[in-house]
Amino acid sequence: MTPPTLPPPRRRRPGTSLAAAALAVALTASLAACSSAEAPSSGTASDGGPVTLQVWTWNLKGTDPRAKAVIDKYHQLHPDVTVKLAEVGGTAETASKLLAADKAGDTPDVVQLEYRGVPAVVTAGAVKDITADVAGVKAGIEPNIWALTTFDGQVYGVPQDIGPMVLTYRKDLFDKYGAKVPTTWAEYAKAAEQIHKKDPSVYIASFSAAQLEFFAAQAAQAGAQWWSNDGKTWKVGIDSEASLKTADFWQDLVERDLVKVEPLLTPEWNAQVNSGKLLSWAAAAWAPNVIYSVAPDTAGTWESAPLPQWTPGDPAVPFLGGSAFLVPAKSKHAKEAAAFAAWLGASDEGSKAQLSLDIYPGGNAGRQATLTHEPPRLMPQQKDFYQVTDQVIKNTTIPVTWGPNVNVAQTAFGDALNAAALNKTSFRAVYQATQQAVVADLQKSGYTVSK
Amino acid sequence: MPATPARRSRLRAAATPWLFATPAIVLFTLFLIIPIGYAIYLSFRGFRIEGGGAFGRRVQSFVGLDNYLTALTDPEYVAGLGRVLLYGLVAIPSVLGLALLFALLLDTPRVRARGFARTAIFLPYAVPGVIASLLWGFLYLPSTSPISYLARQLHAGPLDFFGFPTLYFSLANIALWSGVGFNMIIIFTSLRAIPTSVYEAARIDGASELQIAWRIKIPLVAPALVLTGLFSVIGTLQLYSEPATLRPMSTTISFTWVPLMKIYQEAFMNDNLGGAAAASVVLALGILVLSLLLLRFFQRRTFGDDA
Repeated sequence: MTPPTLPPPRRRRPGTSLAAAALAVALTASLAACSSAEAPSSGTASDGGPVTLQVWTWNLKGTDPRAKAVIDKYHQLHPDVTVKLAEVGGTAETASKLLAADKAGDTPDVVQLEYRGVPAVVTAGAVKDITADVAGVKAGIEPNIWALTTFDGQVYGVPQDIGPMVLTYRKDLFDKYGAKVPTTWAEYAKAAEQIHKKDPSVYIASFSAAQLEFFAAQAAQAGAQWWSNDGKTWKVGIDSEASLKTADFWQDLVERDLVKVEPLLTPEWNAQVNSGKLLSWAAAAWAPNVIYSVAPDTAGTWESAPLPQWTPGDPAVPFLGGSAFLVPAKSKHAKEAAAFAAWLGASDEGSKAQLSLDIYPGGNAGRQATLTHEPPRLMPQQKDFYQVTDQVIKNTTIPVTWGPNVNVAQTAFGDALNAAALNKTSFRAVYQATQQAVVADLQKSGYTVSK
Repeated sequence: MPATPARRSRLRAAATPWLFATPAIVLFTLFLIIPIGYAIYLSFRGFRIEGGGAFGRRVQSFVGLDNYLTALTDPEYVAGLGRVLLYGLVAIPSVLGLALLFALLLDTPRVRARGFARTAIFLPYAVPGVIASLLWGFLYLPSTSPISYLARQLHAGPLDFFGFPTLYFSLANIALWSGVGFNMIIIFTSLRAIPTSVYEAARIDGASELQIAWRIKIPLVAPALVLTGLFSVIGTLQLYSEPATLRPMSTTISFTWVPLMKIYQEAFMNDNLGGAAAASVVLALGILVLSLLLLRFFQRRTFGDDA
């Protein structure tokens, strides 16, 4: 009998981390951290001697020959710099590992985090201000993407990949059930009804309460800001009216049993996607590769379309997911680390290399290259995939600010929303309770929170 | 004045036991006393913002009993304690009952393939808790479960292994599967230590095997039952890997379902080491008090008042 495994860690692991697995990777990571100490550094970082950069990332996997080619290329360009890769888990695990390593005084040199995890490590003082190091490559990435890693005018990371929001759906089965691809959320609800009516075992999508970032993006699309600050005080808008309206929308779908209450990327979800029982995933341009990794046999039946809108004719969306490379405050080779992060994220060569790894590049050159690139393996027939996503990026005009306590919100929100979905209680109350938990936590930490 | 030889030898005699105990004392201090002391120290500290502003730095400072107040008044932590107790109510009697039954069956005179049966029952204990949970997780999820498949074929309707109260039985089942063997071995070993002359005497008196089991074996293995019971209570309060492994697969297990998950969450997701340390101290004290109470209670009943 083959040992059961959960899906392998991937670009973006929406809340599927096993705590125990996290412990295991924690052990591996600390071993890796130990070996980084043996780097043949003959003194300070800036003396030009050979250095080894310890990089924690899930974008570049040590076992992937394509990633190795990228690393070798960098070594060719910079013979003094050797890059060592380690994968320590998703954003939550990596952030907590980084904070522990920071306390122990033995950090890696580059760390990958999703944008929503960045403020927490910035306020913990665990990452370096690299504004000066990246000044030379500013032009390689659009300002609205730099904004994802810039706080108080200081840059704390180099954006690597981005998540333009799209709805990825089973084209063949939408046609079979006579459902139209929704352009508004009202149409989405109609399509959900039509599909489920035609076959009660089939749902338009799963409703995964653990996807905090998706619900935050939904609220942002409707005009709410879950976190915002004016440089001095924080404002939390999880219970703002615009946000609560999105809660009502999902409560209605859940109550009418038009979406399946089911976490994402579990063996159950994978089986349902494979057997055509779950027909879509509203996420971002990285979703096709995630679906492909769990349901490769369904390739050719999917397509991606721009995300449905709240107001017909208003295509504005925020980014969903995507990540940056940060330099830990206690890195011994901060200069070289920032240079590597800048090369991979912002240089022509680096951002194009991302595309070769099935990553949606945030750098301008990489984005340009997508337009002539083959579509993802999940939809080889959708030749205009990258034209669609490129238009979505042009419409990505809603900035999202993440607070320093996203993890607190994640737990409070996910658990309460699951309970509300099962017990059919008010979703609004979940948003309001999350608001209170987040505000209370900010105040307890000593932040000023404005009403 | 030089010490008399007698006095010197008395000194040496007094020092000898300490010398022998030194390695143990050093290890005990290094790996138990100091970490516990550090955890207690941490439990009085927390991160607070310094310098103001929206991106002010968090620094560790003394926060008094704040963390303890938060832990004890946190409804999720208290609810988690309630959940492990409910789980224990299902798991402990079934694990111990089955372990005792298997041990008694293996100890009957005419049993065959004793060695094989003992190993077969013990084997699941060698499977790590996380692996066991993943394994059972696949057997519980409707699309991958052969049990659900059979139920569908028989039109028995969908089986929900993660609902209430089935979730508690699903979790207890994993404990049963992996825990029975271990407890059985302890009880069985204790059974084998009973001199056979006792049984011979009973048989001469006309006792049946059932009566021997009920009136002789069970009372004589009571100390082993107390021991396994105590282990089970402690293990129950420390429940972690099963619900933590099944959490991503279900919507009914929250991030903070049991106290240890809550502690993990605080320490490693919310970066609140102080809060996690306080909750750990509370849990450890709870386990200690409960264990002492149980021991006292059972010692009186099984070993007599003089124990």
